[in-house]
Amino acid sequence: MSAQESARVPMVQLLSPDGQYGVPKEYAEYAKYIEELTEADFLKFYRDMAVMRRFDVEATALQRQGQLGLWVPAIGQEGAQIGSGYGVGHLDHIFPSYREHGVAITHGIDLMAVLKMLRGVNHGGWNPDETRFHLYAIVLGTQVLHATGYAMGVKFDGKVGTPNLADNQAVISYFGDGATAEGDVSESFLFAATNHAPIVFFCQNNQWAISSPVNSQTTVPLYLRGSGFGVPGIRIDGNDVLASYAVTKKHMDDARNGGGPFMIEALTYRVGAHTTSDDPTKYRTSEEVEYWKARDPLDRLEKFLRRQGIGDSFFEECDAAGEAMATDIRAQTFALGEPPIENMFQHVYSEPHPYIEEQQQWLNNYEASLEGGAE
Amino acid sequence: MSNFVEMSIAKAINAGMRKAMHDNEKVLVFGEDVAQLGGVFRVTEGILDEFGPTRIFNSPIAESGIIGTAIGLAMRGYSSVAEIQFDGFIFPAFNQITSQLAKIQNRSEGFLTMPVVIRVPYGGGIGAIEHHSESPEAYFAHTPGLRVISPSNPNDAYWMIQQAIASKDPVLFFEPKRRYWQKGQVNLDHPPASMHTAQVLHEGHHATVAAYGPMVAVALQAAEIAAEEGTSLEVIDLRSMSPIDFNTIITSVMKTGRLVVAHEASTHVSISSEIAARVTEQAFYHLEAPVIRVGGFDVPYPPAKLEEKFLPDADRILEAIDRVMGY
Amino acid sequence: MTQLAFFNLPDVGEGLTEAEIVTWMVKPGDTVKVNQIICEIETAKSLVELPCPFAGVVTELLAKEGETVEVGRPIISATVSDGAVGSVSVSTTSIPIIDEATAAAAHTLVSDAAATVAKDEGKSPNLVGYGAAGHGASRRRRPATGAAAIAAATTHAPVAAPVAGEHNVIAKPPIRKLAKDLGVDLTKVTASGASGEITREDVMGGAQQASVFRNLTTPAAPSAREERIPVKGVRKAIATAMVSSAFTAPHVSIFVDVDATRTMEYVKRLKASTDFAGVKVTPLLIMAKAMIWAVRRNPTVNSTWTDEEIIVHNFVNFGIAAATPRGLIVPNIKDADQMSMLELAKAIEQLAATAREGKTTQADMKDGTITITNIGVFGVDTGTPILNPGEVGIVALGSIRPKPWVVDNEILIRQVTTIGATFDHRVVDGDVASRFVQDVASVIEEPALLLD
Repeated sequence: MSAQESARVPMVQLLSPDGQYGVPKEYAEYAKYIEELTEADFLKFYRDMAVMRRFDVEATALQRQGQLGLWVPAIGQEGAQIGSGYGVGHLDHIFPSYREHGVAITHGIDLMAVLKMLRGVNHGGWNPDETRFHLYAIVLGTQVLHATGYAMGVKFDGKVGTPNLADNQAVISYFGDGATAEGDVSESFLFAATNHAPIVFFCQNNQWAISSPVNSQTTVPLYLRGSGFGVPGIRIDGNDVLASYAVTKKHMDDARNGGGPFMIEALTYRVGAHTTSDDPTKYRTSEEVEYWKARDPLDRLEKFLRRQGIGDSFFEECDAAGEAMATDIRAQTFALGEPPIENMFQHVYSEPHPYIEEQQQWLNNYEASLEGGAE
Repeated sequence: MSNFVEMSIAKAINAGMRKAMHDNEKVLVFGEDVAQLGGVFRVTEGILDEFGPTRIFNSPIAESGIIGTAIGLAMRGYSSVAEIQFDGFIFPAFNQITSQLAKIQNRSEGFLTMPVVIRVPYGGGIGAIEHHSESPEAYFAHTPGLRVISPSNPNDAYWMIQQAIASKDPVLFFEPKRRYWQKGQVNLDHPPASMHTAQVLHEGHHATVAAYGPMVAVALQAAEIAAEEGTSLEVIDLRSMSPIDFNTIITSVMKTGRLVVAHEASTHVSISSEIAARVTEQAFYHLEAPVIRVGGFDVPYPPAKLEEKFLPDADRILEAIDRVMGY
Repeated sequence: MTQLAFFNLPDVGEGLTEAEIVTWMVKPGDTVKVNQIICEIETAKSLVELPCPFAGVVTELLAKEGETVEVGRPIISATVSDGAVGSVSVSTTSIPIIDEATAAAAHTLVSDAAATVAKDEGKSPNLVGYGAAGHGASRRRRPATGAAAIAAATTHAPVAAPVAGEHNVIAKPPIRKLAKDLGVDLTKVTASGASGEITREDVMGGAQQASVFRNLTTPAAPSAREERIPVKGVRKAIATAMVSSAFTAPHVSIFVDVDATRTMEYVKRLKASTDFAGVKVTPLLIMAKAMIWAVRRNPTVNSTWTDEEIIVHNFVNFGIAAATPRGLIVPNIKDADQMSMLELAKAIEQLAATAREGKTTQADMKDGTITITNIGVFGVDTGTPILNPGEVGIVALGSIRPKPWVVDNEILIRQVTTIGATFDHRVVDGDVASRFVQDVASVIEEPALLLD
């Protein structure tokens, strides 16, 4: 199944590539979520998408300048991430994979936390309880089971389907097309379904798992993957920030209110490389990339906004916000410094541990024995 | 005065779990067939009746899912006691255990802890089919962030399962399945020691035998036979395979000068290998003989009709004793 | 202030070691901005555009198109203003900054200097993409000799059983420890073990200077701790007479001069012996051994008088009079007769150290059976020692010094000393006293008698 063929599968699209807003009859249930939005919300969507893209550009440059060990670009996926990120409620928990920089932005995560991790200062280290945005997961699909278990716990806590809607909680788990091949994702569907857990599985189908095209991971559209387990699904145009927002919001609301698990496949495209170590020219054509660039999520929202009367000054302001952010994170990255050696020995166990203490002591003595070390 | 009750290892684990479930309502028990059936070894028998389906439930037959969701539940504040039905079935969960469960506290810089106990009936000697008699503890002892323990008697079983559940860290709790029905006195009032402390069960001065789980009974038997032959063996029940209580071992080796370590697992890169290495590092000048490992052979666990030849028995331990005494 | 900044080739792809410069997009004199693409490089993984990490004016391209450059080598330099490098003022490994003055002073060395900055900092965390090839300079302080050197050199011993040869030693760890303590070279020791291994006895025998006592077959001590001789008859009469006689105390003292030359030679040999490395060896040690030997031959000097009976001790709790800050005390070495020369030497050293530190306990001073007082250390030839209460014998060792001595009718200069001894006459008569002192003197004259 080529990307183009894949695109022919029915999907929720509220904003066409040329920026026209329209709700097909069969997707009318999603319209109300857009109708509730104010102009400020639309501008916020655009600003965040622009900032996310600028962040990506700066992080890539920092990697090329020796300041990050690796960068994981998400260019092209701004619509899927910013839209769905804003569709997640303020008590809900988010389990990202490792490319969800945009979702992080929508929930106020300090982007330096992400850069610290990719610079090799730590393995994450932000507080998932406080941010509700859990740590990046590098091993594909593992976080989907954690999200499912978390959702089971939400249900055990009686925080699902209560009359007090504001008190209910749900969970969203992000993963890619490649991760759907992992057994953990299938087991997640099963555990979520049998426990009727409040979880939305949000699959960003960006068409490529490093160099493996999506048709090597599946022979049926991915949104159908959950159905055999009892997890219904839908495909959305992942480059349509409005569809991503509305569909996520509706199904998170449903999950929170006791509707059980649901799967969203956001069809999008990884315009950049898998990581800065990748070379996509080796496995895909420039025609394909151009096809998707023409469906760029920022372009289409910009067209929509200009049609709504938003002028240059707003877009210039967005550019300026992006530049300011880039200058800021650049300075912060250079200033990150080096983590203290003792960090390596911390938080391995919750209590003092004989091996850790002994080895840390040994290393301290060894370091002190070196030339230039403490006498 | 302490309150003593006689029970089997299986019943002691069951009693310990119930005690923990009473003490902490966030403790959940789940796994394959643990609810109505009480598990294939009946270790969770009666818990459903006592605590109801919100506290104990059957999971789908998906080990990675069991551990992965236990991790998510831990993030939500639950303490899971997850049963892996048989030792040989733990491998589908290996990724979740070693790459996730073991590391999340570290990855989150302490914001999250992982109070998850994984109960694993392990070891051979029950005439089972393939994948039902294995001793995979070394895989997990090798992984930082995990704790790995195994009781050898009912009293330890009753207390160590509670200590494991109370720990904020993930604990692999290996249950010596061929000893499930071995009975002994359980002191309901006082724990014998922390779950990571080795215990000298039999004092001696010619050589030390260290063992854990199902091999402890074999080591004690070897000590009895040796005593009749005039050789005095000190028997140590390790109880914990990670961390290993090296102090107790080394103190004994400094006394006896000779050490044999016994377990059912294959010897290559095993718990005994690690002990041999550490004793060489820390008690080199006290060793009158090399440390000898007595374990399963480095072959897949054999068909049941051959397991008697695979599993170390008292004579195999004594053969090793003869060797160390020969130096 | 204007500075010269360098951009060292980063590792753009997780573990790369080098890259080829494909195309330069800037040239010297060009003004560059932060993140402006300055060149394209080809790595083992892909073609990559490099964005400039600083703003400034290009001064030099340090690698040609087509040239393969190691990760960490500078590829371009530019004059920059303070703060122009990624908004930080510190030089980082990937982007070292050097004052222009320094650069001007040795222009051709500048790029080397920049590379050196990178290299010296090794895998500094400021350079994240640091390449797989780099190794920081060794900072290990090399231990000159000793345990650390051994550890470093012999971390991995050969596994295969080596062909027999002088360097192939079979010995278990405690034997190696013993050999090390005694300074015995195991490669020089003949192994007597069944598997060709070196035994404890081999190590002892392998010491350069054999201890006399290793080969001594001392008569076995009686198994009973005490032997009781009833005080009756003549003995009782003598005792009663002695006490009731004119003697205020029933002391009898005798003296003998002795040639201690061989003892001094023996002491010298022991000091040189690896067995006794680190152990204090003095004539007192030989004297102690001599007395213990003489006690075996004259047991009653090692007794206690109780009016009813004489308790002859078949063990020797060997007292040594010690002058300490709190006065004269007489601690004793328990069961000194069971000790080898080495053990006795260590015990004497320990006793002296304990006394010096004022830590001698009552227990240390109880139950003595015979005593020596080493008055020679005060430079006197001899004296009349007073018995330690409860004991019946005490020996004084005078100073040992060169004196004229008749040997084979010739006057020679020998190391001479005087042995003085006092006994409780109630127990020890003159003949036993004389025999005992003569025995001690013979050993001092000829320590080889200890081989008896």
